[in-house]
Order: sequence, then structure tokens, then C-alpha cells
Amino acid sequence: MLQVAITNYIALSATIFFVGVAGVLLRRNPLIMLMSIELMWNAANLLFLAFARMWANNAGHIFAFLVITVAAAEAAIGLAIVVIVFRDAKNVDVDEVAGLRG
Amino acid sequence: MMHHTMGVDGSYPFLLAVWLLPLLGAILLWAFGPQLGRLGGPLGCASVGLAFLFTVLSWGAGTQHGDGGALGAHQGLVSWLPGFDLGLLLDPLALLWALIITGVGFLIHVYSIGYMDGDRAFARFFAYLNFFVFAMLTLVLSDNFVGLLIGWGLVGLASYFLIGFWFEKPSAVAAARKAFVLNVVGDVGIMFAIFVMFAATGSTGFGDVFAHAGSFGTAALLTVCIALFVGAAAKSAQIPLHTWLPDAMEGPTPVSALIHAATMVTAGVYLIARCAPLWSQSADAQLLVGTIGGLTALVGAILGVAQWDIKRILAYSTMSQIGYMIMGVGIGAYEGGVAHFFTHAFFKAQLFLGSGLIIHALANEQDVRKMGGLRKRLPFAFVAMGTGVLAICGIPGFSGFFSKDQVIYGALEHGHPWLYAVGIVTAGITAYYMCRMLFIAFLGEYRGGVDPSDLGMRHPELAGTTAHDGHEEHAHAPAWYMNVPVGILIVPTVLIGWLMFGGETSPWAHFFAGQFPVAHLGAPGISELATTLMVLVVVLIGIGLAYWRYATASALSDAVPRLREESIRMPAVLTNLFYFDAAIDLLFVRPAQLLGTVFGRFLDPHVIDGGVRDVAAGARWLGALTRSFQTGLVRAYALFVVFGALLFLAYYAFAGSLR
Amino acid sequence: MIGFLFLAVVLIASAVWVVTAKKPVYSVVGLLAHFAALAAMYVSLSAEFLGVVQIIVYSGAILVLFVFVIALLSSGVDPFSVGPNRLPKAAVPAALLVLGSLALTAYGVFKAPTVGPRVGGAAIAAQAGDANAFGSVADFGKALFTVHLLPFEITALVLMVAVIGVILLAGEKPPLSGSSEQAAKARREMREAIVRAGDE
Repeated sequence: MLQVAITNYIALSATIFFVGVAGVLLRRNPLIMLMSIELMWNAANLLFLAFARMWANNAGHIFAFLVITVAAAEAAIGLAIVVIVFRDAKNVDVDEVAGLRG
Repeated sequence: MMHHTMGVDGSYPFLLAVWLLPLLGAILLWAFGPQLGRLGGPLGCASVGLAFLFTVLSWGAGTQHGDGGALGAHQGLVSWLPGFDLGLLLDPLALLWALIITGVGFLIHVYSIGYMDGDRAFARFFAYLNFFVFAMLTLVLSDNFVGLLIGWGLVGLASYFLIGFWFEKPSAVAAARKAFVLNVVGDVGIMFAIFVMFAATGSTGFGDVFAHAGSFGTAALLTVCIALFVGAAAKSAQIPLHTWLPDAMEGPTPVSALIHAATMVTAGVYLIARCAPLWSQSADAQLLVGTIGGLTALVGAILGVAQWDIKRILAYSTMSQIGYMIMGVGIGAYEGGVAHFFTHAFFKAQLFLGSGLIIHALANEQDVRKMGGLRKRLPFAFVAMGTGVLAICGIPGFSGFFSKDQVIYGALEHGHPWLYAVGIVTAGITAYYMCRMLFIAFLGEYRGGVDPSDLGMRHPELAGTTAHDGHEEHAHAPAWYMNVPVGILIVPTVLIGWLMFGGETSPWAHFFAGQFPVAHLGAPGISELATTLMVLVVVLIGIGLAYWRYATASALSDAVPRLREESIRMPAVLTNLFYFDAAIDLLFVRPAQLLGTVFGRFLDPHVIDGGVRDVAAGARWLGALTRSFQTGLVRAYALFVVFGALLFLAYYAFAGSLR
Repeated sequence: MIGFLFLAVVLIASAVWVVTAKKPVYSVVGLLAHFAALAAMYVSLSAEFLGVVQIIVYSGAILVLFVFVIALLSSGVDPFSVGPNRLPKAAVPAALLVLGSLALTAYGVFKAPTVGPRVGGAAIAAQAGDANAFGSVADFGKALFTVHLLPFEITALVLMVAVIGVILLAGEKPPLSGSSEQAAKARREMREAIVRAGDE
């Protein structure tokens, strides 16, 4: 198995996570935003599993499993909302839906 | 703290009746004035007359000597806060004042039925007069400073109502306002004194305060005395708060007689006499009060020489005589000062009512230059005014003689030779200007038809200040309403002084036994007899001078040109009344108006309104700022979320478990 | 180590590809690569079961869902055109934030304690081939249904809620009746009115 220091996994996970954050902040297409969110989920998952391996503890696996489940549910609902909101929109652009503007 | 009352505690229904009957009269007359019409006069007289009756009936209670040095009757009214118990006290001092207020007041009420006849606010006048009697009684019958202050204020209010009774005249309104404002200055002084007294003794009752007079400390005592004197000076028209009194003559003559001669202006004398235990312990206060009293007497007399309006002559003479009274009670000659108040009440009321007869008969003419020869036209008025003048000059045998000499000699006895000299000189000047008035008005030929400019009158339209219109045409009340009170007053004007004859053994001294603290006097260098002779000489000089200028045969025949000369040549300093009015205007009125303008034009719209507006603008700005975050854009919200997460991260990195 | 580095490069590159691709279809492809690399990484971490689950659920279900939605939304005339950028000033703060977060994470990483076994302990290695080895299905299932039963049940609840939610969302009637074109136009106008109102 890989004999890699945990700090490497932390760095990798952080990098993927923040790439996802950048995607959420900078892209205007809702689908790509959702995909970026998936990236963030997965980065967290990676870290869970890395620590589970480090401490030889199952709980990390369980948690990662739950994360996958919830991420799936969230993706489903998120995509449903995207469909409904942007079904007849002129542009598929989240900046156009500023209905909550105060 | 032990509660000291000054009188014998008990229940005195007559005392209550005395106090409350005028109030009842006032309320009835106020409420039902239009319905009462001419009945208002007798109703007003009845309430005050009954009050006088009950006062007389309370003589025994008022002069009783109880145990522990209690003097007079005490009726508790309300016991609310500790130290603020209200009640009525009738001791000889209060009894004297009450008798004058109700007695002379009753006579003036009767007089007013004749004087104010036909006035369209007849009942309102009596309502105000009754209210004044009630207020003055509150002042003198209270057993504590708070009640006194309430009465003080109400009396000022009544004066305001009555001076400005003919409120269509702007000069009357201005005079009323001036009187009220100056009175308020006095009110503040008394309030301040009450604060100091309460702080020192924990009570405002006379008994408590006087019992602890020794524990005040010199500074506090002097402060209290000066503060009280500010009040007294305002109410009693002493320098420099005297400027309202001459203007107060805008009110009807009965008002001038009652309020501005006999009673209200003597409230200051009452106050000082009442607070004798305080004053006796502060020699500095006594010197101050005595000096101002003497100064006022002198200045009043000098200004009286320069007046042409008969009521103003009497106003300045009032100011001067009250100066005597204040001087008397100020330096410790309490019985003398109070005696002068007593005699002055009669002869000054007499003089005013007599002048009212003249004014009424001459259809509101008040300038003596347009009078003359009234001895033949109005003989009764001449007799009345003549006795009054003789009394005020201090001619031996008349009432003023006894009281004025007591005051002047008292100044010497208590160690104030300068005031003694001032008193004597002023007596001479008083004789001069009062006889001047008498001679110009009553002797010679009637000048009513003479052109005013020939007499040196620059503003003839300002002479004659009453506001009766169309008074002469309709039917009159019978003349006896006015003549009988004047006639009745002749008696005490002449004779009442004999009550003081005999010094220690006189009925007067007997009446006031135990009232005032006894002072230890050194034997003065000049005897009382010598004083009397000196005063007499000075008075005769004054009368002689007046006679020589106005009453000789040649003077009478040349009256018109002589009067014109005198009018034109009058020194400006006298016609401007020693510039007191100008000084007050410059020092207080102008700055106050300036302050008002500053507030009205700048502070109010910009600072105060501006402050409110700025608060509103600030709220609006804050709202706009907060609203600017609600862009509705998902990405912006995501940005904020990330920012918050970053803060958490930073916390854990630097302060939390990762430190 | 080499394997880790290789997989790391793939992961990062595909992540960047997902975020920066012009068209969502390209992003999906990048995401697919990302998931595959992740599955390999999981397997390398002795989490074989989860590696497989990753492929089945993520690549097999969620990605497909994304593809469906892309297909659905591109049925319009002008797919995926974008309107004006309403938050042009977001770029700099976003970049700063990301960099700052990275810096903080790096700081945290270097401050983290280095004690603890290196990833890949010998004990786990010794279990290779055992049916109940760490990360195997049996091991995972045992933990899931005994120790962590409650989270499992709650997750089931979450999934049910998601299903119900999607059904409700999908079954939403359009606000205006009539032909779909008119309804679409009306809906568009309403949306524009809201946007315009928001601009004021």
C-alpha cells in the first residue's frame, strides 16, 4: 500500500476542495456550480478515508458512505430545482435569477 | 425631627372661613360673572366683608399665648411629606396683615362698585379682586415657606390679571407682563432660599426653620437671607427690581390702592418680619437689606419730584415708603417697620382712592398739569387727599408721624447712622413732592381747558390711562359707593397712629409682645425727641419749599408758564428714571431676545431638528447599506458563506486547537 | 508514492477542468475522470468497498443525472448563453478567499502533529486477502448495521425526503394555463419584471 504522509492527503483534499469553491464562486452556469459542489463533497470524502486508513478505524468509511448518500440526494434535488427554474429561461445563468434581491 | 409649630394647635373654623371665603367669592364670580351682572359687586364685597368679620372674631385666638412660647393659633391643614406639612398660622403679625387685607380690602371693594360701574367686565373685576384677597391671605396665613411661596406666586398672578385688566390697551398688557416677569425673579429667590433651608433643617415650616436658625452656619444663613430678600425686593419694588411699580399704575385705581399700596407690595415687609429670627442672626444681611431699603426710599422720593401723573407720584411715594418699611424691618426695628406698614396702608389707600375720585370726576384725566383749582370743584376729594398728605409727611398727631419716627429712630438705635440720615432727608423730600402734588392739583385755577403744549406736555395722548369708553353717558352708581369708603378711611389716616403712642407701654407694643426677637441696643447719641424735632424741621422745610414754588399767589397766577418751564427743564436723568429701565433692557431683555433668536433661527431648525433628521438619515443609510448586501445573486451569497467559513478556519488556525 | 502523485495530478487536473470548461458537457467528462481517479485513490487507501460504491453511485448515477439535465436544458434555442456578468467584482475577492483559505490550510497542515502511523500500516497490510479485512464489504457492513445503525436509518429518511421533494417539485403546475409557448412567454416576462424590479 501507499506509504504516504497524511499531510499530503490533507493538502490534496484541500486543493480539490478549494478548486470546487472557486468553481462555485466564479462560474455562472448552475450545472457547473453543482458539479463544483460535488467536487467539494468528494474532497471531504477523500480526507475521511485517508484518516480512516491512518487510524485503522471504520468510522471514516461509514461517514464517507453517508456523505455519498446525502450528496446524491442533494444532487437530485438541486438538479430538479435547476430544471424548474431554468426550463424556459433565456439564459442558463444564475445571475439572472435575482428574485430575492432586497 | 421634632415638629415645632409656632402657634397653639387647635381647630379654628373662623380662620378657615377667613381664608376660604374670598376664594369662594372668586370662584362664584368667575363662573357666573355674566349671569350676575351688577350683583357681582355686592357679592364680592360680601365675601371679603365676611372674611373681615371673621378675622376680627379671631382676634382672641390670634393673640393668645400658649405654653412653650407658642403665640397665636395654628390650624393644621395637610400633612403629606415629612417636612412639608401645610397649615395656617394666625399670630399677631399675621393677624395685623389679615385685618388690613380684609378690612381695607372690603372698603376698596365697595369703592370699586362705584368706580368700575359700567365697565363691561364688572363681575370679572371682583372675581380677580377676591382672588387677590385669597392669595394674599394664603401668603400671610401660611405656617410654612411652601404655602407662603404658593401665596406669593398667586398674588403675582392676581396682580398680572388686575394690572392688565383693560387688556385692549397695549400699555396695560406690557405693564402686566413686566410686573409678572420681575415678580418671577423674586419667586426664584424664595425658591432657592427654601432649598437651602430644607437642606439645612429638613423642613420648610416656620417653627422648624426658626428653631434651628442657629445651626445654619453664617454662609448658609446669609445666602438664605439674600435669596429671601431678592423675593422681597421684587414684590416690594425695591431697587433694582422696582421698575414694574410705576407701570403698574395702568391698572384701575382701586387695584393700585389695594395691591400696589396697601397689601401686595408689603408682602416683602411681611416676609422679612416673619423671618426675624433668621435676620437677627446675620448682621451682614441686615446691613444689606437696610441699605437697599434706605436707598429705595431716597431714590423713590427723588423720582417722585419729577412725575406729572398723579398716580405715578403716588406710585413712587409708595416705593419710597416701602423703602422705609424694608429699612425698618431689615435692620431689626421690626415693630417700627410693621407700624409704618400699618399706617401707610390707610393713608396710601386713602390717597389712591382720593385720586380715583379726581380721575373719575375729570373723565380719566391723570396729569396734574391739567388739573388745578380742584379745591373748589371737588372739596371732598381735597379733604381726603389733604389728610393723606398730612399723614405721609409725618405731621405730628397724624398717623404717619408716629410710625415714620419709629423707623428713623430705630435706624439710629440699631447702629446705622447713615440710614438715619437718609431717613431724615427722605422725609423732607417726601414732604416736598407730596405737597407739590397737592398744590398743583388743588390750588389755583382749573387748567382743564388749557392747550397741553402750553403746559409742556409732549405726549398729551398718553395722559389718562383708563379705558372706560362711553362711560359718561349712561346712569351712574350712586356716588356714596365711592365717597363712603374714602370718608371712612379719613379716620384711621388721622388717628390710628395714636395706638403707637407710648413706646413700650403702647397698645401697639402690647399687641406684638413676644412676636419679635428682642435686640440688645446701645444707647444712641441723639435722643428720640431730638430726632422728632429734626424730622419736623426737615418736613417743614420741604412743605415750605413746595409752597414757595407752587402755592404762593404769584406762583398760582403764573401756573401755566411755570409748569411749562418745569416740564421742559426737567433733567433727563429724572425723566428717564435714573435709567433703571434702560439698564434692565440692555442687560436682560436684549440678551434674552438674542438668545431666543439664536434658538429660533439656528439651533432649533439645524441642531435640534437637524439632529432628529440626522438620526433618521442615519437609519436610512444603515438600511441602505444592509440592503446593498441583498443582491439576490447566488454567487454573492456564496461569497459571503465562504468568507464566513474562512473566519472559522482562521479562528481554529490561530486560536483554536491547532494553535 | 509515485502512484499517489500520479493520482493526485489527475485529480487536480480534472477538478480544474471541471471548473474551467466552457461547456457543461466537457465539465461532465472531466468529472467522470475525477471520479475514476478518486475510486482508484480509495482503493489505494484500503477502502475497496467505497471505491466501488463511488463508481456505482457517483459515476453511474449522479453523473448520468447531470447528463440528463444538460440534455434537457439544451433543448432551448440558445443553450447556455450567458447574460451579463452581474458580479464582475467577485473575481478578486473570490481569488483572495480561495488563496487565503489554501494558505490557512497549509499553515494548519504544517502545524498539525506528525505523530501517528503513516498511512498504510503494516497491520492492515497483513490482512490482505482476508474476507473481513479492513475496508472489505463484510467489515463495512458489520460496522454499518451494528455500531452505526442510527445514521443509516436517518440516511434512509433523508433519501426518502429527497424523493418526495423531487416528486413535488417535478409535479408543480405552471402558474399560467394555456399553450406551453404562451405560458413560457408569460413566465419569462414575469421573471424579467422581477429582475427589473430588483434593479431599481
